[in-house]
Amino acid sequence: MPVSKDVMIECIDVNKEYRRAGAIIRALVDINISIKSGDFVIVQGPTGCGKSTLLNVMSGLDLPDSGKIIFDGENIARSKEDRLAKIRRQKVGFVFQDFNLVNTLTAIENVEAMLWPTVLRSKEIENRAIAALRDVNMLERKDHFPVEMSGGEKQRVALARAIVGKPRVVFGDEVSGNLDPKSEKEVMELLKQINQDYETTMIIVTHRETVAKYGDNIIKMDKGRII
Amino acid sequence: MALRLWRKAIKMTLREKKIFVIFTGIYTILIFLTSFFIETTLSAGEGFLSNYFIMIFFITSLILSLLYAWLIVSRNRRIFATLKCIGWTNGNINSLVTGIIMFTTISGFILVIEGLFHYAAIMGYLQSTGKGFDAYPSILISLTPVVITFAMFLFVQIISIILANRKVLKVRPVIALKRVGQ
Repeated sequence: MPVSKDVMIECIDVNKEYRRAGAIIRALVDINISIKSGDFVIVQGPTGCGKSTLLNVMSGLDLPDSGKIIFDGENIARSKEDRLAKIRRQKVGFVFQDFNLVNTLTAIENVEAMLWPTVLRSKEIENRAIAALRDVNMLERKDHFPVEMSGGEKQRVALARAIVGKPRVVFGDEVSGNLDPKSEKEVMELLKQINQDYETTMIIVTHRETVAKYGDNIIKMDKGRII
Repeated sequence: MALRLWRKAIKMTLREKKIFVIFTGIYTILIFLTSFFIETTLSAGEGFLSNYFIMIFFITSLILSLLYAWLIVSRNRRIFATLKCIGWTNGNINSLVTGIIMFTTISGFILVIEGLFHYAAIMGYLQSTGKGFDAYPSILISLTPVVITFAMFLFVQIISIILANRKVLKVRPVIALKRVGQ
């Protein structure tokens, strides 16, 4: 009998509007979704459909205008910034389209940076960073700076940074947007592997069909609504 | 934890060689000149003109410090937004910025003190040879003016750190998700 999974993130009647050049843009309209722990979810839709806004509110980077975001049992829709930062540090990992690595830090330092503001000892931080780099097959490049790496390698380091804190959820925003097809395949397979090995919930926003095939669950969006 | 972030701030500052060298160089010159004119005021009692120069250097250092603080936050907005995304609090980022600003200023002081020690050593040697160097002071600037300058610069740095911290508060983590150039 399959084991029933816990609900990791639940959006209840979530709405979000933006004002741009005097016009009101309804980025999210009555969103109701439930994502189970360990799911690999792809949020797909055309540019401007609200998928990045959905990622922002689910991860606590932005607050919805109304509705609830239940993240691992806690409603974060009205949480203060410091509380959200703590949740992100303890439970969330991020992978960005532009990698967002710090150019003045080496690969291992970029990964360690996630854990610098914690009470962990430096040796423990280093060991965790080494393990994360090993998971993404980048250990041999640990002392290299981002400028010395290809796009695919940078994204793998960014992925190591996302998983070094042993997060419950990894959010990815167009993770393969700046990658060639070969690197995209490598990165997506790594995400899938991490999802299976550590049961980390993956929520990946994309407009690419080639990425969508990796998801167990695909959420399609258009004009701020789930279709 | 703050100590660790300050150590990392030093490492990051040293790797931003160009900006570090430029600002440390200018701070060194300003610290030396301010100390020198305070020394002149204290030892020779030259009032108005020295005070005028001290005021100019103080205001220059204030403007420079504010510029440096603004530059650090503006250049690193995306990095700070990313750090916020991965769970750094505003306080953590402020510790990093404080470390960067303080390290640059303290480096300027160390260079001035180092220079003054070398001057005293060289002058001590030259005066001992008896070749006409007795007219020059064996100590160019004494400890008191350097300490007063340090206090002045510390005050200026605190103002710039407050400014930087206010700017850090305004950096929204969602900036990290925007595409480069957007």
